[in-house]
Amino acid sequence: MIKDITIGQYFPGNSFVHKLDPRAKLIITFAAIIEIFVCKNFLSLAVIVLFTAVAVIVSRISLKVMLKGLKMIYFLIVLMSALQIFYNEDGDILVEWWKIKITTGGVYTAIFMAVRIITLIFISSLLTYTTSPTALTDGIERILSPLKLIKVPVDTLAMMMSIALRFIPTLIDEIDKIMSAQKARGADLETGGIVKRAKALIPIFIPLFVNSFRRAYELAFAMECRCYNGGNHRTRMKQMKLSWRDWVMFVILAVMLAGIILLNHFFGEII
Amino acid sequence: MTVLEARNISYKYSVGTPFEMTALNNINLKVEKGEMLAIIGHTGSGKSTLIQHFNALLKPSEGQILLYGKDINESKETAHAARFKVGLCFQYPEYQLFEDTVYKDIAFGPGNMGLDKTEIDMRVRRAASFVGLNENMLQKSPFDLSGGEKRRAAIAGVMAMEPEVLIMDEPAAGLDPKGRRVILDLIKNYRRQTGSTVIIVSHSMEDVAEIAEKIAVLNHGELAMYGTVDRVFERSSELCDMGLNIPQITRIFTELNKCGFGLNKAVYTVEQAERELTEYLHKGGKSND
Repeated sequence: MIKDITIGQYFPGNSFVHKLDPRAKLIITFAAIIEIFVCKNFLSLAVIVLFTAVAVIVSRISLKVMLKGLKMIYFLIVLMSALQIFYNEDGDILVEWWKIKITTGGVYTAIFMAVRIITLIFISSLLTYTTSPTALTDGIERILSPLKLIKVPVDTLAMMMSIALRFIPTLIDEIDKIMSAQKARGADLETGGIVKRAKALIPIFIPLFVNSFRRAYELAFAMECRCYNGGNHRTRMKQMKLSWRDWVMFVILAVMLAGIILLNHFFGEII
Repeated sequence: MTVLEARNISYKYSVGTPFEMTALNNINLKVEKGEMLAIIGHTGSGKSTLIQHFNALLKPSEGQILLYGKDINESKETAHAARFKVGLCFQYPEYQLFEDTVYKDIAFGPGNMGLDKTEIDMRVRRAASFVGLNENMLQKSPFDLSGGEKRRAAIAGVMAMEPEVLIMDEPAAGLDPKGRRVILDLIKNYRRQTGSTVIIVSHSMEDVAEIAEKIAVLNHGELAMYGTVDRVFERSSELCDMGLNIPQITRIFTELNKCGFGLNKAVYTVEQAERELTEYLHKGGKSND
């Protein structure tokens, strides 16, 4: 159950997508997400869907893994589509029964919304699947570094973020262990109403918090022992450099944006 | 009488993914009532996976676990009931303490069994006395105890369920020699007074040699050896090949035998060694001078 969480998971690889500079990847992802929302009809949406599909294929991340990321929001997709189908009254009527009217407009919008959400999830999970957490936080740090001018402690925030990401798997392991230990003492975590289940979590979360605080102290001491004192003037072993790949991607994104705006303009808008 | 039996147990992790791995391969094991069994093996040999099958925390991919001849995975109820009959104390059990007093924490297991208040009280006090925690400590917060005391409080939490089989995963791991001594003594004491079946998982051969009657050796998820302590330690060279450390005294005797002394191979405690050597000298072993 707990092992199904895919947040922050990273699949090492050597593809074109993996090789992109983390900063570039962040910007590309952000731009692609904006472009998804700029799309107003199926033709322009097809452009971005095609882009996502090619990116997934090139990254060699299996479709199974990509679909697993959707698991958490299946319900959301179904609910949004259902609302569109039943409440949108544009276009021709397809089915009419009692008070319920299903129209072509409703169906089109439902499909449009579903495709849009799925593309959004694919694009953003592709970012974490192909970028190691450390590279990602380094990238964020570099992108946000201008904020240092207004005294935002960007490096410290980045360090906090990478530590947080680093400890996700550790915490998952630990929850698993504590759950087994309490189950061995007869704790019942699977049956009962919501109140009983919430109460059953106490024996799991208290040890988890106690251990996390202990670990945090130990980590802080260990970092101080290695002379860490805030992020100022830290240099890095690996310098990031934009390569031709990143520039190619920027150009593609710009061309796509232009294409989408033109398609929106010439082929009408359904949203 | 057989209490617990593993029949053709196999267990695979992450079936159907590229990470599929066989953790246990066709294990057959019988534990007799009142016996003290030690399960040994190096890290990753499947010891911890095996013991989690004994109280139905893990379900075997193939095979059955029988408790008094009945499959414990027959239904959800039998699996839940097995948790109380087979008490499992995990490695570093002090990290599972959560209540605001030691008393309440020890009472968690018995409370889950649905016992009444007086029975729970009796069991908590009995378990506390086994592990040597006094009244004063029972009212303290478990987080205020020392490392060794926390360990003992956590062990008491499992003992208070008064299981018929008590399983402990590395009960003395990470303790100083004195703390280790205390834990081993309390296990011996517990057995003497309750006559329960005890299984311990360990990779300290000295500890195993001292308290166990039988040993099961796991290697790469397979049962490599199984028998009395004498029988297993006789095969000390095989144990070494599996990356296991044999007791120091056994190593000395193996070396002595290599030099041509015809000594008993299955010596694993200092007392035995003393007896063996005295006997040898009396029989005129001096001829080797």
